[in-house]
Amino acid sequence: MANVRLEDLRKHYKRGGEVIRALDGVTLDIDKGEFVAVVGRSGSGKTTMLDLVGLLLRPTSGRLLIDDVDTTTLTDRDRAHMRSEKVGFVFQEYNLLPTMNVVENVMLPLRYAKTKVGGRERALELLERVDLTDRIKHRPSELSGGQQQRVAIARSMINRPSLILLDEPTGAVDTETAEQLVALLKRLNKEDQVTIVVVTHDLDIAAQTSRNIRLKDGKVLADERVGAASVA
Amino acid sequence: MEILRNIWRRKLRSTLTISGIVIGVLALTTMGALSENFNALLDGGVKYFSSSIQVGPPDGQSASLLPLSKIDEIKQVPGVAAAFPSYGFAAKPGAVTTVSFGVPDEIIAGDPAENDWGQLKLSTAQGNYLSGSAGEVLLGDTISKEFKKKVGDSIDLPVKPADAKPDFVNHTFRVVGILNVTRTAPDSFAYINIADGQMLLKDSLPVAIRSQIDTSQITESIDVYGQRGSSISQLDSIANRINAQVSGVKATKPSVIVDSFKSGGAIFTAITTAAALLALIIGGLSVVNTMFMAVAERIREIGLKKAVGATTVNILREFLIEATLIGAIGGLLGYGLGALITIVANATTPPGQSTLFLITVRLTVLAIGFAIALGAVAGILPAFRAARLDPVTALRNE
Repeated sequence: MANVRLEDLRKHYKRGGEVIRALDGVTLDIDKGEFVAVVGRSGSGKTTMLDLVGLLLRPTSGRLLIDDVDTTTLTDRDRAHMRSEKVGFVFQEYNLLPTMNVVENVMLPLRYAKTKVGGRERALELLERVDLTDRIKHRPSELSGGQQQRVAIARSMINRPSLILLDEPTGAVDTETAEQLVALLKRLNKEDQVTIVVVTHDLDIAAQTSRNIRLKDGKVLADERVGAASVA
Repeated sequence: MEILRNIWRRKLRSTLTISGIVIGVLALTTMGALSENFNALLDGGVKYFSSSIQVGPPDGQSASLLPLSKIDEIKQVPGVAAAFPSYGFAAKPGAVTTVSFGVPDEIIAGDPAENDWGQLKLSTAQGNYLSGSAGEVLLGDTISKEFKKKVGDSIDLPVKPADAKPDFVNHTFRVVGILNVTRTAPDSFAYINIADGQMLLKDSLPVAIRSQIDTSQITESIDVYGQRGSSISQLDSIANRINAQVSGVKATKPSVIVDSFKSGGAIFTAITTAAALLALIIGGLSVVNTMFMAVAERIREIGLKKAVGATTVNILREFLIEATLIGAIGGLLGYGLGALITIVANATTPPGQSTLFLITVRLTVLAIGFAIALGAVAGILPAFRAARLDPVTALRNE
């Protein structure tokens, strides 16, 4: 069953008199539990696709379905609720709130969720899974880059989303930490059957996923099954 | 908790902003307490004068003397339910009066029964009301403290000035009661019986005519009452009828006196309003500035919150609460400091002088409520700006 379906999805911008076709008619399905890497050069449309799938942007045309719900007709409020319930985000720069400690950061999405599943217990369980039990009272500024990104991964899972979107999650950490993070993502993908879509420049990371979608000029250039990490 | 941490993450800026509100609310509290005190004084006057008609000598008569027989004539006027003689003397003759928010000490002689007619009811904190016996005095709260008198003590009235002439006359009175605080004129009054008032009136007359006037048949003024519950306009009509039907007297319409009191209060209300406006401008602008800075600094955080499910309303509410909290903290501190200043100032006022400040529930609600409302209103624009941020732009803001 498709967890995410893109139907002729387009996002065009006007810059001066020129139309920028950031995403230009992408059609594809991402099944539940897939671990997908979206690769391509800068300006290929990777991040625009991630923002569209994450309901942060509205498409110019086409349809985007998440768990069979057509998100293009939803109000901003309903899109926010769907983000809260169905989607988890991880960013390159972690985006942890500096005034909150680790466990509070992990629990942040609960504040905006309609159903607050598990609360602090769930946050502590996730922190155990990302091996940060001994850091729960620390502030983000007291953690390494890799630790901060693990907090962000735990935060992305707090509301038990069906889809986690990662935008260059290893872009700000060294190679060894990047490998640890990918191993963690693979484990979560396998254990929770959560769909993971990661936008990356790093072909080594892409090679560890189950599927690579290569974009160029806003279009799908290639869509390949990798096999190594496939759990779908 | 997060909101408090957000306020505190820029300590200096938040402190300066809150200080702006503190100063504004402190000004509002102290000026307001001054105004409330003055208005309480005026309210007493309004209460007293809106329930009675003051009848004195006609215009042009130099001495404030009326035959007591005028009381019977006045009682014949339709609408008049009661009339009482009244005498007033300076308690401290020759004392220099400077600018004051209080009422000078006075000796008032009247009929104890009059207390049942006026809207301003007097009650005793200690001892009893006047019984009618000669030599009794009932002291107001302020004057009792000024002369350190309690029930059973004696007091010489009028008070003999240090530079009094050898023929200065005063009399010893026995304190039979101390009045409860009224925060208006009676606090500075010493009440005596009519017969004693007539005795003081005789003392006050020039020696040349003293023996020719029987003060037992004289009053200085007459307090006239209509039926209980009479409106000011009804009392005005009675005053007009007294002027038309009784010769040799002048009845002043209560509305004239009450309007005069109210116009005095309006000046103080204007001062309080000006202080409030000043607080609004200074405090409000600093909150607006602080909140815009906070939004600019936290753009990525706002983007993140939207990404994890925050709606426009969620973000709007968070920033509004933060601005309101700044207003509330400033308001509570400003009010607390202002109240402390007024309490200390009142406590250190020398005995016998009227206190300057009055903190009322109305003022408390106004000062704190005003600061909270100020924070909330000042936070509206920045909160809207935060709430309407595009999450994609916000998340990638450098």
